[in-house]
Amino acid sequence: MQQEAFANTEDFGGPDLVAGPGRTCRPGQDAPYQNYELAKAFDEMFTPEGVCRSPYAALDSRISTLPLEELNRRQQAVEQSFLHQGITFTVYSDNRATERIIPTDLLPRIVTAREWDRIERGLTQRILALNLFLRDIYTDGRVLKDGVVPRSMIYGSKHYRREMRGMPVPHGAYVNICGSDLIRNEAGDFVVLEDNLRVPSGVSYMLANRDVARRAFPAVFRSMGVRPIEHYPLELLATLRSLTPFHEDVSIAVLTPGVFNSAYFEHAFLARQMGVELVEGRDLLVNDNVVYTRTTSGLKRIDVIYRRIDDDFIDPLIFREDSSLGVPGLFNAYRAGNVMIANALGTGVADDKAVYAYVPRLIRYYLAEEPILDNVETFLCREEKSLSHVLANLDKLVVKAVGESGGYGMLVGPHATPSERAAFAEKVQADPENYIAQPTIQLSTAPTYVGNGVEARHVDLRPFILHGAETKLVPGALTRVALKRGSLVVNSSQGGGSKDTWVLSH
Amino acid sequence: MLSRVADSLYWMARYIERAEHTARLIAVKLESMVEQTPEDAGASWQRVVGALTGERVSAQQDAFVITRMLAFDRDNEDSMITSLGLARDNARQVREALSNEVWEHLNRLYLRLAPVTMNSIWVHSPGRLFREALEEMHALEGVTYSTLSHGEGWYFLELGRHIERVQQLGRLLDLHFSAAQSDNGPKYFDWLVLLKFCTAFEPYTKRYTASIRPQKIAEFLLFDSEFPHSICFSVDRMTEALARVAPGAPPARRAAVERLAGRLKAAVDFGQVDELMSGGVAAFIADITRQCEQIHKALYSSYITYGAETVL
Repeated sequence: MQQEAFANTEDFGGPDLVAGPGRTCRPGQDAPYQNYELAKAFDEMFTPEGVCRSPYAALDSRISTLPLEELNRRQQAVEQSFLHQGITFTVYSDNRATERIIPTDLLPRIVTAREWDRIERGLTQRILALNLFLRDIYTDGRVLKDGVVPRSMIYGSKHYRREMRGMPVPHGAYVNICGSDLIRNEAGDFVVLEDNLRVPSGVSYMLANRDVARRAFPAVFRSMGVRPIEHYPLELLATLRSLTPFHEDVSIAVLTPGVFNSAYFEHAFLARQMGVELVEGRDLLVNDNVVYTRTTSGLKRIDVIYRRIDDDFIDPLIFREDSSLGVPGLFNAYRAGNVMIANALGTGVADDKAVYAYVPRLIRYYLAEEPILDNVETFLCREEKSLSHVLANLDKLVVKAVGESGGYGMLVGPHATPSERAAFAEKVQADPENYIAQPTIQLSTAPTYVGNGVEARHVDLRPFILHGAETKLVPGALTRVALKRGSLVVNSSQGGGSKDTWVLSH
Repeated sequence: MLSRVADSLYWMARYIERAEHTARLIAVKLESMVEQTPEDAGASWQRVVGALTGERVSAQQDAFVITRMLAFDRDNEDSMITSLGLARDNARQVREALSNEVWEHLNRLYLRLAPVTMNSIWVHSPGRLFREALEEMHALEGVTYSTLSHGEGWYFLELGRHIERVQQLGRLLDLHFSAAQSDNGPKYFDWLVLLKFCTAFEPYTKRYTASIRPQKIAEFLLFDSEFPHSICFSVDRMTEALARVAPGAPPARRAAVERLAGRLKAAVDFGQVDELMSGGVAAFIADITRQCEQIHKALYSSYITYGAETVL
């Protein structure tokens, strides 16, 4: 159907000529960049002087020669195609369910080979350290005895799972699938904003967006040596396989909360692409600590579960008993070693926003290396000195609740009203351990098609790291875009969209 | 195949079949009513509503209101749009068991019909929308046939489609034949419309020429083994499909289903239309319908909702 959706744009799949350099459209002056604002953020495409950076030259010459209506048509074809494919999430209001697509921008974001090399090494280092940290806190607790991380922060975390203590996991790999959010600061350096170690999502959008951008700019794509990402499902399958000692007849399933989950499309997509079963909790049962699915021919054993359900909901006998999404007895089957679960339970303790602040120290502690990728400067409100600094500078900081994600429970100081700041200050004072603060970082901006031209919008970068017997990054990422002009919030639940990410091979 | 997946595929096919049947009845009725007196058209609409919903409506009820109820009323659990929506919900739950083509075709069809209102179609040839919907549903059947592996999932789709078809066809025939003797029963034109309700007009005339006689119609729609909208044809497909699903199930559970299928096939294979004409059509159909319901139940208890303790 995708073909058909594009059929009316005759050069969509065909050649689109890349014009040579010569023509220069200046941001803020010439169409299509007439409203392209270069503010204090680092811009991915233009230097502060308004000169196009070289990796973007081919794209620039293409979009500055394409009629605006053509971009518009391509944008609409993409939206139509997403809708038909069912790449949607459902919004409920007034008892009516409306399906919306997560907006996708046509224009790719480009990452050079050198930048990617650093990202890849940095994230590999980071996931190694985080896995060592998880093994440590679920076994000897050396890092706590040595006073590197406060004991109360770990044992007091709602994501610390006592049930996991002393339990071996294959290859010591607790986090098998990780999605880390990077941003590019004003100086143009990539820094880590957040690690998602529980059930990171978005990888299906990374792949769907590739389809979009490649169709929108086929010749530019071909000319640039963009590294492929289509093998992600294969690598994911290999990672999941590496969790069992068996080699043949390994039965793998993706466990989804079901069709009402906003990431359901992704769960079904990954199951299909890997050629494994997509199961819901009600399809599984545990007998004698072995997990089975109910099939038309009888019960079939399951060896590895890629779960897309949070810890809390996975087994009502151990965790939340009101959960109907999980499988009673699953945890005991897991503890008995009869089924592998990816990610392991209890990984959330390490992507806590407070633990985040310690990751550079963890890298030094476990690997005796300097962090390749920096963190964003972070103030822990649990430390008194930081707390007073935070309260005095609320108008300059972003304050976040430690256990929340998805852009909830946070205050973007410079954009908040004085009364919002005052209200938030009270919350922080009442429970300082629950908050951290960071300077408002101007996420870098990237060219984004907005309907009547191309404008700068803030973006982040979420690469996906696989970690089983080995560590692998597919050379690509989900680039999330804050579609509202000036907005720094890229979360899809709050008006964010996404775009393709082209990692160059040279 | 996961039992839940089999369940969803089965219902997806049933709902698509139901939507298709509804669209066809509405299209044929809208096209044929212009040739009828208001009284005859009213009686005929009553039969359509009866066949599709089991409800009775007054003969004075107008076509606009009835069409809206049958096609677009989301509170009517049998309406075309409700059925298509349910088919799509089921398909969405088993995306990984369907081809992209099948899912996208169904999804596009639903997204196209969902916003349609009566006012937008009524003024200019209201029948056209239903014809287009029918074309799309036929195309969907073709897309399914040619892009999905003809494995177990495919046979669950076949089961759903044909069990539903027998039920729908049964109700339609019952309403026509049980009223055949009464005064306001079907007239010549109504028998012709009945054939069109079943896409059977031309296939019928090829077999029996254009002489439209109730007994021949009954023979054709009940016992013709080649015509896809006959009871016999659907029963053959069901029997075939039942032999192919759940290949690894224990023999005892398979036997429970196959015994019922064999009995149904025998009833249809050895049925004689002469024996049925003196008021026996309705009883025969009631028997077939009941047997289909038993097969449905056996299918579920053997392959889908069986107790786990029975196999551990």
